[in-house]
Formats: sequence, C-alpha cells, structure tokens
Amino acid sequence: MKKAILKSIFKVIGKIFGIFALVYGALFAVFFFDLDGKFLYYVWEPMMVKRYDKMERTDMTQTPYGAKEPVS
Amino acid sequence: MRDLLHLIEYEDLLQEANNKLVRQAKDEGLRALGYTCYFMPEALLNLPGCFSVRLRAPRSTSPDMATYYMSNRTCMFGRCLLERALEGGFNFLDAQMATETCTVTCRFQEHLQMMDVIKNPDFFCEFTDVPFKKNENSIAHFEQQLQAHVLDKLSEHFGIDTSDEAILKAIEQHNEVCRVVNEIGEFRKLDVPTITGFEFQLIQLVSLVCPKHLILPMLKETLEDLKKREPDVKPTWRVKVVLAGSENDDPYFVKLIEECGALVVADRHCYGSLPGRDPIVIEEGEKPLHAIARHCLQTSMCPRFMEQHVMRERKEYLAKIAKDYKADGIIIEQMKFCEYWSYERTIDTIILPRDYGFPVCSIEKEYVNNAVGQLRTRFQAFIESIEIKKIQAGGGQA
Amino acid sequence: MKLFGKEVNKDTLKDTDWKKVASDFWYGKPHEERRLGDLYIGNTGLYKHREWRGVKDTMYYFNNIWLYNYGHMITDIMKYGNMVDFIKGTMRYRWMGQTYLTVMHWFDRGLEGLRGEALAASAWHYRGMVSETIRQFQRMFAADKKLHGGKENELWKNSIAHNETVSGVIFFPFRDQMDDVALEMIPYFVTCHVNNHTVLNYIDAAQSIGLPADPCPMCQAEYGIFVLDDYPDYAPTMITSNEACDGSVATSVLQDWFLNRPLYAMPQPMRYDDPLVQKHCAEEIEGAWKFIEDQYGYKFNWEKYKELAEKHNKLTEFEYEKWDVAANTPYYPINGVAQALYRIYYSQDGWRPIWEEVDGHVKKILDRCVGKKIETFPKTRHRAIAWSCAPLYYSNWCTWAYNCWGINTVINMDSLMFDQLLRTDTYEHALEDLTWYNEKAPMRAMAVGGHEHIFQLWQYMERFNCDMVIMYDQLACKGMQGIHGMFEDEFRARDIHAIWVPHALPDKRVVPRAEIRKIISDYMTTVMHEEPLDPTLVDFDDSESW
Repeated sequence: MKKAILKSIFKVIGKIFGIFALVYGALFAVFFFDLDGKFLYYVWEPMMVKRYDKMERTDMTQTPYGAKEPVS
Repeated sequence: MRDLLHLIEYEDLLQEANNKLVRQAKDEGLRALGYTCYFMPEALLNLPGCFSVRLRAPRSTSPDMATYYMSNRTCMFGRCLLERALEGGFNFLDAQMATETCTVTCRFQEHLQMMDVIKNPDFFCEFTDVPFKKNENSIAHFEQQLQAHVLDKLSEHFGIDTSDEAILKAIEQHNEVCRVVNEIGEFRKLDVPTITGFEFQLIQLVSLVCPKHLILPMLKETLEDLKKREPDVKPTWRVKVVLAGSENDDPYFVKLIEECGALVVADRHCYGSLPGRDPIVIEEGEKPLHAIARHCLQTSMCPRFMEQHVMRERKEYLAKIAKDYKADGIIIEQMKFCEYWSYERTIDTIILPRDYGFPVCSIEKEYVNNAVGQLRTRFQAFIESIEIKKIQAGGGQA
Repeated sequence: MKLFGKEVNKDTLKDTDWKKVASDFWYGKPHEERRLGDLYIGNTGLYKHREWRGVKDTMYYFNNIWLYNYGHMITDIMKYGNMVDFIKGTMRYRWMGQTYLTVMHWFDRGLEGLRGEALAASAWHYRGMVSETIRQFQRMFAADKKLHGGKENELWKNSIAHNETVSGVIFFPFRDQMDDVALEMIPYFVTCHVNNHTVLNYIDAAQSIGLPADPCPMCQAEYGIFVLDDYPDYAPTMITSNEACDGSVATSVLQDWFLNRPLYAMPQPMRYDDPLVQKHCAEEIEGAWKFIEDQYGYKFNWEKYKELAEKHNKLTEFEYEKWDVAANTPYYPINGVAQALYRIYYSQDGWRPIWEEVDGHVKKILDRCVGKKIETFPKTRHRAIAWSCAPLYYSNWCTWAYNCWGINTVINMDSLMFDQLLRTDTYEHALEDLTWYNEKAPMRAMAVGGHEHIFQLWQYMERFNCDMVIMYDQLACKGMQGIHGMFEDEFRARDIHAIWVPHALPDKRVVPRAEIRKIISDYMTTVMHEEPLDPTLVDFDDSESW
C-alpha cells in the first residue's frame, strides 16, 4: 500500500518533472531558434502595422490655438 | 514713382560691411562693434566712442572655406559671415558682441574666438547669455549679463563711458533713428503706399549697418523727400503682403517679390523694422540699462521665446501687422537650416489662414539666392491665388 | 551522408578534432572562429539560431536573461498597472504594440558575442531599462484619458508630463504626492533603440504638415507623435525646456499647440558656466515648483527631495566608481551600448527603485572583475571614446565594432553628462547643485555654452586612456555641424585616429547601419591596416531589422 502511494507520488513528481522538462525544452527551442523573434517579425508586427495604418485618427491640426494666461 | 533721395547711395553702402561711413567713423577714432542679433541691444553698442555694425555678408557667392568649417548642413547666413571673416572682410571690427541666440551664428562667432580670424590686435569676442522668457527674472538676468559682458568689457577694453548718462544719450540717438525709420515705414500703411518694400529695406538696413551719427542726417533728408513723393498713377503691384520670417538682409529678395506683383508693406523678420525699430521707453524711476534689457526682451517676436502665452501672442502680432498695413497676405520665409523658423513657419502656415483668415505663402530660401526661378513661380502663384479669392469674394469683380 | 543539411563524408568525420568540438560546445568558440554574421537570416536581423556561447553562458543567457526578462515583463506589467490597460495601450498606440514586444531582440543585438561577467553586467543594465519603461508606459496607460473614454481619473489628475530632456530630479519634492512621466521618452526615444521601424511614421508625419526635412529628426519625431494623435493623454499640464538645442525649443511650439493645456517653460541658460547665470536658472526651477503648486495644489516637500536626492547621489557615486574602473583597468564589465543607454536613462529619469536594484547587481559583478582581475573584453585592440550624439537606430554599433574589429567603446559623451552630486545640507546648496545638474544635461553640457565644452574631448580621451575617437556626425545637428572643421583640424594637429560616423539620430533611412559599418571597416583596413576579428561581420545586410 505504502509502496503504491510512494510509487504514485513518484509518478506524479516524475510527470511534473517531465512536463517541466518538456516546457523547459520547448522554451529553450523557442529561445535557441529565435522563434519568438520570428513570430514577432513575420506575424505580429505586420498585423499590428495593418491595424495602426487603418486606425482613424483625429486631425490634430484642428486643435484650437487661443491665447493663454501667463503661468510664470 | 521718382527716385528717393539718397537711395542709390544707400544701395552702395550695402555692398560691403566695411562701407564708406564705417571707414569714416573709424577714421574719427570710434570703435566698430559687430553683432548679429536683435538680442544684442544696438543702443548699448552706440555709446559715445563706439558704433554698432550689424553684420552682413553682401555679394557672397559660395562660402567654400566656411563650409569646410561648418559643413554644408548649416544656415548659409552663418557660413557666409564666417567666409567673409576668413576673407578679411571684417578686419575693421574692434570687437564682436556675441550672443548664443541661434546655434549657427553662435558657432560663427565662436570661430572668431578660436581661429584668430580678425586681424586687429585689439579685437575680442564676448558672449552674452540671453534668456528664453520675458518674465522679471529674465529681465533682471539679462540686465546683469549686459552689464558684465557688454558695458564692463567696453569700458575695460576701450575705456568707453558706460555711465547712465552715456546710456541715456545712446538711447536718445537710438530712438531718433527708430522714429525716422518708423515714420518712413508709416508710408507703407497708405492705401497706395509711396514707398516700396525694396526701398524701405535699403533704409532699414543702412540704419543697422552704418554709424548712427553719420546715417541719421541722410535718413532725415530721405524722410522729408518721401513726404513730398507722389504715388504712381497706376500702381505696379497687384496685392500687398507682409514679409515675415528668419534672417533676411537681402533687399533683392524683396525686389524679387515686388517684381512678381506683390508690394511688401511690412517686414517682420530678423533685420526687419517690426519690431526691430520700436523705440526704447524708459519707465519712471527705471535705470536706463534695465529699460534696454526689458525693451529687448519684451518687444522681440523671436520664435526663441518659450512661454506659452508668448508663443501664441506671436501669431496674433503677425496678424495684427497684416491688418494694420492692409496686407492681402503673408509671405513666411525661412532660411534653410534655421531650426527656429522651420517650426515657426510650419505653425504660422496653418494658424494664420485658419484663425486669422490671411493667406500664407510659405517658403524656404538660402542666404545667397540662386533658386530665383522657383521662388518667382511660387510668388506669382500666391499672388494669383489672392487675386482669385478677391474676385470670388467680390462676386466676380476684381 | 547528410548532417544538419550539410554533406559530410566519412573522412571529414575522421578528421574532425572532437576534442575541439567538445571544447567549443562547452566553452564556446574562440572569438576569431565565431562567424556571428552567418547567424543572420537575410536582411531581417533575425537569427537562424541564437548564438551558442558555450554551455555556461548560453544557459545564463537563456535562464537569467531571456526567461528572466520575459517573466519579469509580465510581473512588471502587473506590478505597475494591470493587464487590461496594457492590452488597451498595445492596441491603441503604434509605438507600444509595434515596438516593445520585440524587446528581447534589443537585448540580442546589444549583447551579441558577450561572455561571462560582461554578458551579465550589461544584461542587468538592459533589465533596468526594460522595467522602468514598463513602469512608465503602465502609468501613462492607467492615467490616459484616451484609454478611459475621455475620463479624467485620479491618476490623470496626479500626473505631470514633461519634456524628456527635463530631468526627473526636478520633481523629487513632489514624488510622494504625484508622478512625473517624460512625454517622449517611452513613445519615442526608447522605441528607436528597440525597434527603429516605428519612429519613421512620426518623422514622416512631422513633415506632412509642412516641416522641412532638415531639422533634427529627433525633434521631428517628438512632435510627429502628436500629428498622428499617438500620444497618451495622461496629465493636465506639462513642463518643457530648451534642452538641448534650437530644435528642442521650436518643438515646444508645436507640442504646446497640440497639447493645448497649461505649459511651463523651464529653460536653462546657454552660457551655463558663467557664474552670473546660476541665480537666473535657479529661479526658473523654483518657478517650475511654483507652477506645480499652483496647478495641483501640492506642497514642495523638502524631506522628500532630500531623501530622493541622497538616493540619487548613490547612483552617481557608483557611476564614478564605474568610470574609474573603465578608465584605469581592463576589467570593466559593461559594454558601450549598455553603459551609454543606462546612464542616460537613469540620470534623466532620476532615482527609482529599479536603478538601485540594478546597481546592486552590477556592483557585485564589478567588484568580482576587479578582485579577480577578469579581462572582460579580452580582444580589445583599441580603446575608443564615442563623442557627440549617437545614432539611436544603431546604438549597438559598438557591440558590432568590438566583435568585428576589437574596438572597445570605453565611454561616450552622453555618459559624462549630469556629472554632479546633489547636496542636501541646505535648501540653497540643493538648489545650486540642482541648477548645475540641469545645466549638464545630455547632448547639451558639451554642445552649448562655448566651444571649450565640446573640446573637452581631449581631456576625456586622456582620462579614459583612449587611443581612438568615434566621432558621431549627426547630420541634422546644427551645433555639431557648425564646428566640424575645427575638429578635423584638431584631429590632424593632435595625430588622433578619429572615425567620423554620419547618422540621422532615429532615422535609419538617411545613413543605413550597413553604411556606418562600412565607414568603420574602411578606416580599419585602409588607415589602420588591420584584419577583422570576425570577417563575417564586415559586410552583411540588416536593412530591414529592428
């Protein structure tokens, strides 16, 4: 019984360790092969550029330019 | 219109910095003090024993030596001044009363310090710090600077009398010059002005570059002559404009505008009379030096001033000039590479038509103007656009 | 047979020096064999794979830099605000969404080729800058009217915007009551370093309303952000200044128009080492404090000023220690780009907890290097001083110059600014020192107030034991262009190796990075007659990289 519990604990720990190792390994692959950079360069940036280019913007040259009181 | 008295002589005097009257004053034993900017108070440089010469580099061509020192990416005014100095054209100067008010003229003046360019054993170049605001703190600071870097130096180097009495005398003379130039300038406000912008600029420029005691009698005679002058029966101009912007000491640039059909009725630029020829008013109980410092800061319309209300008042002032001088439009010129005026021109070009209803022609120019053809086209198009607007406003009648 | 896509025959395998392979794997390749230029993909600046620096340094980079910083970016976002504002800001502002997510590549470019202590110390500087950047944009977003349906929330009411050239030190007396955030530091200045694509939009926008192309592109970009309505509206007032140049003054005119709210101008005198100007300058600073009191109803807190000024002095004192090590030993562990950017950032920003934390880490590394006499840049052939203002889109050129040619940029002009401790014994002393501090601001202390300031180069060359000058040639800087020839004359007269590096601050289109490299490489081959340490770095295309 005790052995079985221990085994299952080890199994869980092993699984956690395995998942951690897998995630760590995957992250290392992302890091080493510059996959973060490639995603941002080829996917994210063009997508955002498109968004910002299409965005409606206020015509700032219509900002009023009235007289102001001295502050100094 | 018939020729104005002394006008040809004025034109002649503007052909070189060391002109006939400057030489005459030097022969009288007066000290020649160079300066480049409105922030160096002209009155102080005209104390008894010395006279001011606002530096120009007339008849400049290609400033090759200066371009080596200052590169071809700086304002050509500064480079042409350095070129003229390197050529020996400013050797008559006894001192340069410098200001660090715009970068390139500052660098030009630093070259005078560094390179021993001016072949005059007495020569020195002294900088004055000029504040960016018009408040009391700035006026007090500027007064202190003028005392330390102008008056004390003149006294120390040349034994100039810098007493209040001497300053008052200089102010009196300065105001007399301003009065005469302004009176001449008032003729530009007439519905049909009896003086052209070109002629006026010759007058304004000689008042800046010649010793006051020698040029003043001539200016007075010109004023008297002008009072009797009749306008042309059929004016040669089609519209009236204000010329505003950065450094401009080239009367032939004004002539170019006028040849295109726009009479220049007001000059709101460096070396111009608005507000350059505002008289110095001494308030009750005020020390003359304080009055000069206050006057210089409070009257200046330079885009160098940073206070919010002052930045905004500049546009109002320009619009007021255009209204007072009955102008149909405004030409904003900017010396290429002048950072102050490149920004000021940008905002003026948008705000003045939008908020004040004045059409604006916005141009960039060089100190030595070679692109005359392009400028002519721009001015002609601007004049035509004003005429079209007039026709539209008048229901089809020009 | 094929191995990793390469044709390998049996003889090759037989001839392979496996001991060397194992050594390269474990320790990383020697400098001359790295071939870093082979790692790039086309003109993108991306890597086929990130550099293998040996097991220890690669794992340090992965764990302590890459993972650590990505992780801390998330925690910083939460710490300094919330995820919702962050996402809203990312979607709203180009300078945010297009720029800052690429930040790890900024690390990569700046830290390329570094090993051991140099890698660690330089990375800590980057970490500090990233954290402070997050703090600032999160503060902006949290207070931003544009992200909160036009509502003026409490944070908006308790924030003050200031020109990025106004030092944060000015606001120390109010930091317990409100927060000061530089207006252009995050939307413009830092973006150019991280991802130089973004700023081009702002430069073009500035010119689209009529500004000519020749004014300083930094100033152009600073107001181009407003033309494109891409500034966060996070404060009811603004303080501006004349630093560093005519263009900066003129920019205020347009910024004032677009902001259209109370603005206080706090100019510094031009002839700043004239003893007569100090009083005037001090009064303008006091004017700024009065402006804050009038506009916000807060009171000047002397105790807070004292506390923060003393903390700020600690940062400056450590800076002096760093300069001392850089000047007199080969053990200085911070590379040119990290030194320059960090210094300008924290001294401009004023004390914040992250700067103190980073200095703590770096101090340990510095002490270790000195104690153990670790030569951090062992391939140094030339000790260079970089003078005038640097190309923002290629501030990491000095990383390249070391990797390619062994040119070690020991110090640069902007690092030498703010050379001033702040006394706190009396109000008068404090104000006097604060005045000086502001007068010695970046791009300004050397560039204005007389030619003798810019010619301090010769003294600094000697002080930092430099044998070479990298002379930045900012094509639109009138102040520096206006004294170009005198430098040429002096370099010749003093027989100094000086390489002129033309650039246009944030605008890579004017002088591309490849051209900057070519100019340096040409000088190194034709004048110095030297061979590159890494020939793959001499010529490569990164025209489309961040």
